[in-house]
Amino acid sequence: MTRGGLTGRTGVTRALFWAALVAVWWVAVPLLPTGLVPGPAEVAVFMWDELRGDTLAPFTVYESFALSFERLFTGLAIAFAVGVPVGLLMGLVKPAEHFLHDFTVVGLAMPSLVWALVTGMWFGLGDLAPVTTVALAAVAFVVINVAEGVRNVPRELLDMAAAYGVLRGRVIRHVVFPSLMPFFFAALRYGLANAWKGLVLAEVWASTSGAGWVIKYWYDAHRAQGIVGYALFFVIVAVFIERAIFGRLSARVFRWRPEIGRPVPETAAAESVVPKSPVPETSAERSG
Amino acid sequence: MNDVAKIRVDGLRKEFGEVRALDDVSFEVSGQEFVSIVGPSGCGKSTLLNVLSGVEPATAGTIRITEGERRARLGYVFQSARLLPWRTVRDNLLFVQETRDAAVRERCERYLDMVGLAHTAEQFPGQLSGGMQQRVGIARAFSIEPDLLLMDEPFSHLDAITGRGLRRELHELWTRTRKTVLFVTHDVSEAVELSTRILMFAKGGRLVSDQRVDLPFPRDGSSDEVALARADLLRRFESLDLLAT
Repeated sequence: MTRGGLTGRTGVTRALFWAALVAVWWVAVPLLPTGLVPGPAEVAVFMWDELRGDTLAPFTVYESFALSFERLFTGLAIAFAVGVPVGLLMGLVKPAEHFLHDFTVVGLAMPSLVWALVTGMWFGLGDLAPVTTVALAAVAFVVINVAEGVRNVPRELLDMAAAYGVLRGRVIRHVVFPSLMPFFFAALRYGLANAWKGLVLAEVWASTSGAGWVIKYWYDAHRAQGIVGYALFFVIVAVFIERAIFGRLSARVFRWRPEIGRPVPETAAAESVVPKSPVPETSAERSG
Repeated sequence: MNDVAKIRVDGLRKEFGEVRALDDVSFEVSGQEFVSIVGPSGCGKSTLLNVLSGVEPATAGTIRITEGERRARLGYVFQSARLLPWRTVRDNLLFVQETRDAAVRERCERYLDMVGLAHTAEQFPGQLSGGMQQRVGIARAFSIEPDLLLMDEPFSHLDAITGRGLRRELHELWTRTRKTVLFVTHDVSEAVELSTRILMFAKGGRLVSDQRVDLPFPRDGSSDEVALARADLLRRFESLDLLAT
């Protein structure tokens, strides 16, 4: 596990990678046919202009990402609204589990590209295709993690609560729900990772706005620095979501875990919260 | 004393499919007793506690646990502490309370203090050692002011020294509160050190012996009298052929 980000030896070695990348980029570009690959300076200037709101595209980078986020969160909300009850059903009722098993396997195995194409065909250009793509790309992760979480509610804590005669509502709130939290996080994380890719594709094919669409806009305009610059914006946003949002949120929600307790600095905690038990992306393998 | 529970168990039977865990068990416990239940593994000791607490339904027979006219309140200490890892020590005690008013909160603090853990109230169980977690479990059981305490091998997962310290603490708590205790253990020394009475179970869930322990308290687990009483009990138990079903 790495601690505390870019500090110490590990940090230096990591920084070295970025320095090497930029150096190779800088040296290699003049050797290539002009216009094929933008140099680092070109990309940097492009990104800076975008950040200042000075762009040739019809939307600023802020407008584009705001719109994409809106679609992403709407789609995720739908995925959770559908996936949580279905997951509960699968976790609690055996026949439901058998009935829905292959549905989740297909859902996990389906490339999000397919959802982007299919919803584009169904709904045409607009918000609906990207939102539906996100929901479809994420829902199987929600279902399978919630189901697994329900099956993993610690039996001995439920028995303890029963022995003390604790009321059902309190048991759900203080025993069942907290033990589901790691699985919710896994669902959110892996669902988001998959949905994010689907969203970009859906915006390329089936939309006239959003960050994905702007990449296509620069592609059509033959502006390589626009494509690379936007790709870097995507990376930055993804890292920000992972570190700043997930990291902080899980450090707070899981502060009771010994390795996350007060003695450990928050940044380190953020990296160690990848839930160990919940079902990761590879759960599609269960079928194979 | 109005603080005493009475247990009356009559013809109690518990079966899991074909397997008989408790076979026609009958006994009575009056208030203020510390009763140990000993026997080889698989003799239904833990099942008895589960049935008494209502976690498992009985197959046949009757159980009456009464405190005057009302049903008695039960406290439970398990083999492992069974604390909610995501709640603080204080909240773990509050979790099992019927109400959470000021008097109840004060009572929880008092019992935490009695097991020497008042300073950990804000901590999470994962930040405590196994022995400390078990003490929280004991404080939790006492904090509901139970009429009857059910304890299921609470010290079997702890190292010898921690276990010894906790046995002493438990005895002090019992002396102070005189709660009726049913204490399951496979350790006869532990039973002799703590109990006023020992019930012995055999394989197949039969109650085969009911012995008073007439040694004065406090008892030193390593003293000669405890060792003698233990040897005496073991001899008697051996003659009962506990493993025959």
